[in-house]
Amino acid sequence: MELQAIHDTLKAAGVVGLLGCDEPRPANKKEKDPGRAGMPFLLVDPAEIVPLLTACRDESRLQFDLLIDLTASDPAADGDDLWVLIQLLSLKYRHRLAIKAHLPKSALSIASATAVYRAANWHERECSEMFGITFEGHPDPRKILLPDDWAGFPLRKDYEFPTEYHGISCE
Amino acid sequence: MSNSTSNTPEKEHKSSYRTEERRTLSSGEEEFFFDVKTSDMEVNMGPQHPATHGVMRVLIRCDGELVTGSQVHLGYLHRCAEKIGENVEWLQYLPYTDRYDYLAAMNNNLGYSMAVEALMPGLEIPRRAVLLRTINVELNRIASHLVAYGTYGLDIGAITPFLYAFREREWIQSLFEKICGARLTYSYIRIGGVFNDAPPGWLKEVGHFCDVFEEKWKEYRDLLALNHIFIKRTAHVGVIPKDMAIDFGLTGPMLRGSGVDFDLRRDMPYMAYGEAYEAGAFKVPVGSGEKGELGDCWDRFYVRVEEMMESIKLVRWCLGVIEDGPIIGEIPKVIKVPAGEAYVGIENPRGELGHYVHSDGGKIAVRCRVRGPSFTNIAVVEELMPGTLLADSVAIIGSTDIVIGETDR
Repeated sequence: MELQAIHDTLKAAGVVGLLGCDEPRPANKKEKDPGRAGMPFLLVDPAEIVPLLTACRDESRLQFDLLIDLTASDPAADGDDLWVLIQLLSLKYRHRLAIKAHLPKSALSIASATAVYRAANWHERECSEMFGITFEGHPDPRKILLPDDWAGFPLRKDYEFPTEYHGISCE
Repeated sequence: MSNSTSNTPEKEHKSSYRTEERRTLSSGEEEFFFDVKTSDMEVNMGPQHPATHGVMRVLIRCDGELVTGSQVHLGYLHRCAEKIGENVEWLQYLPYTDRYDYLAAMNNNLGYSMAVEALMPGLEIPRRAVLLRTINVELNRIASHLVAYGTYGLDIGAITPFLYAFREREWIQSLFEKICGARLTYSYIRIGGVFNDAPPGWLKEVGHFCDVFEEKWKEYRDLLALNHIFIKRTAHVGVIPKDMAIDFGLTGPMLRGSGVDFDLRRDMPYMAYGEAYEAGAFKVPVGSGEKGELGDCWDRFYVRVEEMMESIKLVRWCLGVIEDGPIIGEIPKVIKVPAGEAYVGIENPRGELGHYVHSDGGKIAVRCRVRGPSFTNIAVVEELMPGTLLADSVAIIGSTDIVIGETDR
């Protein structure tokens, strides 16, 4: 199913928090638009993420039963938002859905998806330590890849590389 | 399914392995007794343990021989692949992709290249490159499954199959050495195609390898997969029901071992797979619970064994249709990728390898996310362990066929 059709199906099912589709578009030199290549994303409201994911999983025409990936991105150091990106896959209909939620850097908190997909557990732990996003209601919010005492959020664009770690110089 | 937190050891859990007491004997002497408590003992498996296939630590709590809880600790091999991706040029990142799943570096190259190519709409990949990619990726899949086959035998206690498997893997590696010069970290599949054409006689040797391997494969199957002791150790052990596999987001042989008939190569085809499937070149092996229950360790293992044979058929099909031609599309020396974002997932030997790449139109990625299949696949171990025997924990970890380079990236 194409993204627009998925969007319409969700809308028809009464799901709130849909903010439209981010479709790729060709470059337009007249309007100095560099265009956007790649794949379409469904833009959603981060406050409604759990009901939305539940609808994606349970809606009979969508059946996104696998949460493939959950991650974030810091597109610009001076930007206001982080993006939370979720990839879903339907085994039955063999289609994918990419979800993008803009999360303001001033309030980096989003509800945990672990209640809907248990696959989200470790992805959220990784996302949390790398970007400093709090996943509300996460059952086990420990660090996963980094040492427990690691300071800072390495994948943020404003991250400063440490010059030493436990007396070991990193320069 | 129980709640995931219930079976992990509590943080404040205080373990005392010994009971100590002083007793006064009838002679009036005081004696000091101690006894090792076998109930509620915490066993640290790893970070240096042969059965964890790398530097991973599994904290197991057990009551005698019975495992009551487990917790997986990762990060000992974290090399910041994603951060590096945001600091080097598009093509410079390619060698880093070799290093996450180092047993299937060709597949990693392909996953990354395809993700970048998804942002370059005008780019056409020549047919010879597509087929060379498919051949190499499938050969690498066989090599990777051979390691999975051999090391799983080692975990269980069978040493000989490992030596057999590495004999054929050695041949595949020398084939790779002939085509790209490297034996483990290939960087062979580039953005736009492949970087080197097959040397004279190479395709013929691949055909010869297929002939020989087909015979050997039967030996492998009989030697380990159908071995009575091996079946006793793996059947009915570590059962992952269908719904649990889906809930945990398992992919690849882990998912198919649980009876879910899904393979990205067939169901969302890329490269030459769609065409090959229509020509009947390969099937998708799915676990059936033949020796035990659906989704047990044996099923997962046997899916991999069968996949090796399907890969041989795929390579044969490619060898039949490959023709001379260019091997790389029109790619500038310094690649500038148009602004955009793309997520591309491909079927690695261990499951879905996904790359999310974000370009702002420059020479360097804004974000380069890697979704490694081992990372999600190992998460299920915490759930499987409670209630099994300590000796089976090795069988369970081995059946997930993880590569730590990929869980930690």
